[in-house]
Amino acid sequence: MILNPGILALLLGSSIAFLMLLYAAGLGLKILSAWDPQSSSEQQLLLERKTWLVSTIVNYAFGFVVLSGLLFIYTVEDIHRLFIGAMCATGALNANEIGWLVLLVKIILFFAAALWVSLNRLDQCTEDTPLVRPKYIGLLLLTPLVGLDLLLQYSYFSGLQPEIITSCCGSLFSLGNDSVASDIAGLPPAPTMIAFFICGGLFLITLVLSLGSRQAIFRYLLFFASVLFFFISLLSIISFISLYIYQMPTHHCPFDMLQQNYGYIGYPLYIALFGGCFFGLLPGLCQPLKKNPSLKREIEKRERHWLLLAFFAIVVFLAIVAWPILFSPFILLSY
Amino acid sequence: MARRLNILEHALSSLLRRKQKNLAIIVVYTLTVATIASVLFLTQSLRSEAVNVLAAAPDIVVQRLAAGRHDLIPIADAEQIRRMPGVGKVEPRVWGYYYDSLKKVNFTLMGVKDSPTNLPLLQGTFPANNEQCTLGKGIAEAYGVTIGDSLVLVDSSNSSKLYQVSGLFIADSELLTNDLILLQEAELRRFFKLPDGRATDLAVEVYNQREVATLAKKIKLALPDSRPIGKTEILHTYDTVFNWRSGIMLTLFASALIAFCILAWDKATGISADEKREIGILKAIGWDTNDVLLLKFWEGLAISLTAFLLGAIIAYLHVFFYGAGLLAPVLQGWSVLFPQFNLTPAIDLYQLFVLALLTIVPYIACTIVPAWKTAVTDPDSVMRS
Amino acid sequence: MPRTRLFVLFITALTLLLAVLLAQGIRQAANPSFSQRAEKKALVATLGLTDLSIWSEARYTRHPSQADLFTPFQDYPGAFDHFPAGSIIAPGQPKPQTTLSFKQRGEQ
Repeated sequence: MILNPGILALLLGSSIAFLMLLYAAGLGLKILSAWDPQSSSEQQLLLERKTWLVSTIVNYAFGFVVLSGLLFIYTVEDIHRLFIGAMCATGALNANEIGWLVLLVKIILFFAAALWVSLNRLDQCTEDTPLVRPKYIGLLLLTPLVGLDLLLQYSYFSGLQPEIITSCCGSLFSLGNDSVASDIAGLPPAPTMIAFFICGGLFLITLVLSLGSRQAIFRYLLFFASVLFFFISLLSIISFISLYIYQMPTHHCPFDMLQQNYGYIGYPLYIALFGGCFFGLLPGLCQPLKKNPSLKREIEKRERHWLLLAFFAIVVFLAIVAWPILFSPFILLSY
Repeated sequence: MARRLNILEHALSSLLRRKQKNLAIIVVYTLTVATIASVLFLTQSLRSEAVNVLAAAPDIVVQRLAAGRHDLIPIADAEQIRRMPGVGKVEPRVWGYYYDSLKKVNFTLMGVKDSPTNLPLLQGTFPANNEQCTLGKGIAEAYGVTIGDSLVLVDSSNSSKLYQVSGLFIADSELLTNDLILLQEAELRRFFKLPDGRATDLAVEVYNQREVATLAKKIKLALPDSRPIGKTEILHTYDTVFNWRSGIMLTLFASALIAFCILAWDKATGISADEKREIGILKAIGWDTNDVLLLKFWEGLAISLTAFLLGAIIAYLHVFFYGAGLLAPVLQGWSVLFPQFNLTPAIDLYQLFVLALLTIVPYIACTIVPAWKTAVTDPDSVMRS
Repeated sequence: MPRTRLFVLFITALTLLLAVLLAQGIRQAANPSFSQRAEKKALVATLGLTDLSIWSEARYTRHPSQADLFTPFQDYPGAFDHFPAGSIIAPGQPKPQTTLSFKQRGEQ
């Protein structure tokens, strides 16, 4: 176990978040079992008040999830110096087989918590709060996820042995290896690039169509475009975006770009990608909820805002990706 | 937006109305942040100092282990190591410890062979003959010695020996030389009655830094009773020592953090009748629960931001302008000679980010439930009472 | 909104002060005559120093990188580590490579 201040902050924060969510889940159970919007009994009033507490807790927990994701990456970057052979976060994540799982759970948690917070916002703005039941079932699913995050984080950090010899990104993301990571790195840049920009274009087109029309189909299309774009972007980051950022034809690491040498360009890149994809997902996810008239009003009030946010974030993301491709002296593809 | 700003305005005025209570929280909060921040800043800077400066340490130090203890190594081994390909110079080193029972101070005695000219950070010269010595600043200060004075040591045959102080290390090297006494190597051998043909350890120079680990393995293979310590391991020790150190200190300060959380919880729960009435009236004139929660959020943010920034500034001044004067006694342990910390700052945004998470998250967690309790106050019941 | 303005001003001032301090720290770190890193490195190289002289109370606290895993306990078997600094220093590396194993009766 390495008692690094960053690790302590992560573990402390996650424990607090988990405890608060456990408390919220307990309240959620009570709310689920006795919720009756028709009733005007004192108990129902009490439960309605408790929903405010639950939503405040989850809002804060969501804020923490976002920050802890960033801190986790930053800490893993910081402790890579302790491992022989590690040169960036990849090495530190490799030092222990749970490292990558923590990252995966954190990504899932980000989307799940963001969805909960947005739905809760919607719901609380209506008079009849029709989403109470699904929301609290969702909360019961979210809580174990936070617990899992804490558990995995703890076992990852406690399993770290400074003397471990680990591999660096150069060996994980190198060609001619038999791992999944090297297969991704080995994707030919030209077709990947074409797929990436086509998919990005598709995303923006469906987005503009959704902005212009109220048809449900565009929102569903946008949903699928977001999912597709998210994964293609992650693949592309390893396959060719990293190459342009580092200006090296063999450097495929998705984490080195978070380091100071590259001006921390990775942070805006990832934040824009995650934010943009989330807001791209949201209208499609909310489409079925429009059956309810009060929700429909609220959704339509916000949808434009979401779409504009998604548009802005993805344009920023594409700009960061396209900049070195267009303007740097580094040429990967010769015509 | 305007609505939110109005709520912020109201939050600030309600904070100001309860000056004493909030001032107490801010003072304690600031102190908590300042303490934790001091630990973080100090250890981070010590670590970067150690890692930067000790990069010039010997590539490999070869010790001999006998009966599970560090023992004198035969100088003949040096020849064997020197013949390995890739090895440069192999220096047998002589050094040891000396205890002064009057002042209860431990010194490190080191033998030097040839005196290099114009060494930086040194006032005076290296010991040029067997009657001279060079001292670290900690010793000079503890005993009030200057160049030209004489140092009296009792050697292994229990006879006193006088050494004239020929040089003193200046303050900037304190972290490296505080308790150091340099003597001529031949004199130190006589002093410790070391057998001929033996040294304390061997400092090995390796031409190619990448070969250090391989050579260490080779040395271990050729001399099974030896213990080679590579430079990376030296640097690594300091990297982990200060990580470990700051980790332990942070865990200790966790109790301070918990105490602070209890205070915050207590202050947030015990709202006065006045405050209750105020919330009741706000709700009666049309504020909903969300607005009151927002109000409480702004209050918490205002307090946290103020305390965090003040605490970080105080910690910075404490560590880098006052040499961490309040923390040093905690770090000192039983060392009598303890260096002053004149550290080069090595703080980045990561440290501040960690600090923010360590202090603000517990505070927020403590105030959520009390804030909610206030926010759901029933206007009717409050105004009636 | 006078109070908001005042508050924002106050927080900005504090942030600026902190930023100035951090910037000064970065400047100091970049300034060779302040940090004297080169001089200190020369000293380390000349003397062959391996450790910082922070805790001079015991061998393994004075030279943590030269101490082996069991130095804190080597006065006699099972001795307590009684120096305060020892409680906050991790044992050094590398560890001895020796091992202990048993063979059951009849085992080759």
